[in-house]
Amino acid sequence: MTNTIDTSIYVAITEAIQGEVRRILSEGNVSAVIGYAAARRKGSAQPTVIVQPDDAEKLIFSAACVNNLAVYLTKAKKEIPKTGKIGIVVKGCDLKALVGLMGESQLKREDLYLIGVPCAGVLASTAQPAQPLTSDTIAPKCRECDARLPTGCDFVPDQQPVIPELERRYSAEIARLEAMPPAERWAYWKEQFKKCIKCYACRQVCPFCFCEQCLCDRNKPQMVETTPRPAGNAAWHIVRGMHLAGRCAGCAECERVCPMDIPLNLLNRKMAKELKELYNYEAGFEMQEKGPLATYDEKDDQSFIK
Amino acid sequence: MQKYLSQQNFIALLSKLISDGKRVVAPRLDAGTPLYGPLADSAGIVLDQLPRRSAKETFFPVCEDIMSYDKVGQQVTLTNVTPASFPETILVGGRPCDAAAIPVLDAVFSWDYKDEFFLERRRKTTIIGLSCTQADDACFCTAVGLSPADHKGSDLFLTPVEGGGYACETFTEKGEALVNGNRDLFAEPNGAQALPPAEPQVEKFDLKKVKAWLDDHFEDSAWDGIAVRCVGCGACAFLCPACHCFDIVDEGTEKTGKRRKCWDACGFWKFTHHASGHNPRDLQPKRYRNRIMHKFKYYDDKFGQTLCTGCGRCIRFCPVGIDIATIVSEIGKK
Repeated sequence: MTNTIDTSIYVAITEAIQGEVRRILSEGNVSAVIGYAAARRKGSAQPTVIVQPDDAEKLIFSAACVNNLAVYLTKAKKEIPKTGKIGIVVKGCDLKALVGLMGESQLKREDLYLIGVPCAGVLASTAQPAQPLTSDTIAPKCRECDARLPTGCDFVPDQQPVIPELERRYSAEIARLEAMPPAERWAYWKEQFKKCIKCYACRQVCPFCFCEQCLCDRNKPQMVETTPRPAGNAAWHIVRGMHLAGRCAGCAECERVCPMDIPLNLLNRKMAKELKELYNYEAGFEMQEKGPLATYDEKDDQSFIK
Repeated sequence: MQKYLSQQNFIALLSKLISDGKRVVAPRLDAGTPLYGPLADSAGIVLDQLPRRSAKETFFPVCEDIMSYDKVGQQVTLTNVTPASFPETILVGGRPCDAAAIPVLDAVFSWDYKDEFFLERRRKTTIIGLSCTQADDACFCTAVGLSPADHKGSDLFLTPVEGGGYACETFTEKGEALVNGNRDLFAEPNGAQALPPAEPQVEKFDLKKVKAWLDDHFEDSAWDGIAVRCVGCGACAFLCPACHCFDIVDEGTEKTGKRRKCWDACGFWKFTHHASGHNPRDLQPKRYRNRIMHKFKYYDDKFGQTLCTGCGRCIRFCPVGIDIATIVSEIGKK
């Protein structure tokens, strides 16, 4: 059964964002704001950078505001001047990435002005931007969201999202894959990775893929085959999954943007599940310099050393 | 030559070609994603959605081996891949935006260097184009001077008609040979009305004005605004029917390995990264500028053609919503 999800609060949230951005840009202590603006296609939105107070009226929030804008604050994006305080519109899931980036000393809290969005969910990549938000068109990550109301922001509009209980698809899919014999599971991933064309959209939208030079772009020595072929594709996605373990908080941008429909967030959610079970650790809730895979403790489980 | 092909005979034609040992490439689902690829069974064809990647890969694969090397002792053996071994292929259900890109690519692949990998596949492939009856708001073939019923690039073109089946028209000897070789499946035209073609909504670009602005504005602050959101992936170039940049890499061990030709994209930082460490396109707006310049100026300067057929894939799948139709349209109004 399809349930419509109430997104009427997004109108008031849009107005509140516009008002706040106009104020902070006019007062001059914020030099630019990264937010969402409407685009040509019906119902669509795209990231935008606003520097003039009068342009604040271009900002919107809707179910088509899918991007995690945190990527624009990383050092991988040199086009956004990082001088002065930068304002950024964040959903709860996006905020988790910022918390991670601050923990890893990539960003300083005092350099940011966080405009949090009470979020009822955004559209899945399979939906058209003009479609209404329903239990069918909502993004998979939103089905299991635990951060609908961002905390610790400088400004959050008052609206309260109301969301029906939705079936958790990642958990179900991970359970299905875990139940498979290894050969069958490998066959599943081989089929998925075979489609990869190494467009690196997954890497380029990821807030945590901020390496100056990605290991997978190196050719002296070559660490991973760069060509889009089965072995190198699998290696790339496994390397990335490992590098994100304990860091990825599930914004699912990699999966949303994959033009080949590879369910990449399953890898990240599986790693997150392992980290939770092994170290009782969840990324994105508090600033921490080093995640469990980057630290050593004598009390760590060593039973795997044989 | 004009004929009628019933839906039943269309499927029968695919089955016959497959059983004759021809390589039949058509849109079908690959792990759930619609892609052009070799059809194992005529029932697998999926014609109601635009394949995610364009048909260029039929001629210019995502990645192909072009040579291999083997070293035994001090003896090194190099083995070329011989294009003569490529199979006869029928590309079925090529959308007008995809089929029209193939003659555009002919120009660059047969210019100063003859790319035998592309050209041999081109010689051995017959293209059966299919008219579009549906468009979404990312489609813009009409804005670049094509149309959902354009037969450019097709050897044989199919137009769905009222009551089912297709009106067929041949445009080349290859198309005629295909019909003549399967005469029992094609009937005389039955006069059925063609289903109305799709109507993309984007206003026609003034390509001359676009080029005139590009001619004079390599350096312009507008590029920063256009490309500030670009995150530098290759999704647009890789889904594009006309983008054709590739890289050649050697992969393997000291003893054995392959030389491979695979897709590359000007959006990547690495694309123009020099061995010295210098990168002339150091920021993303310079890379995005190249994308627009190549499509609407450089290719036109060199080959008198536009390197865009308006398929809209780059719009639909840009991770950050960059809309080339809006960008080019605005450039045309400057």
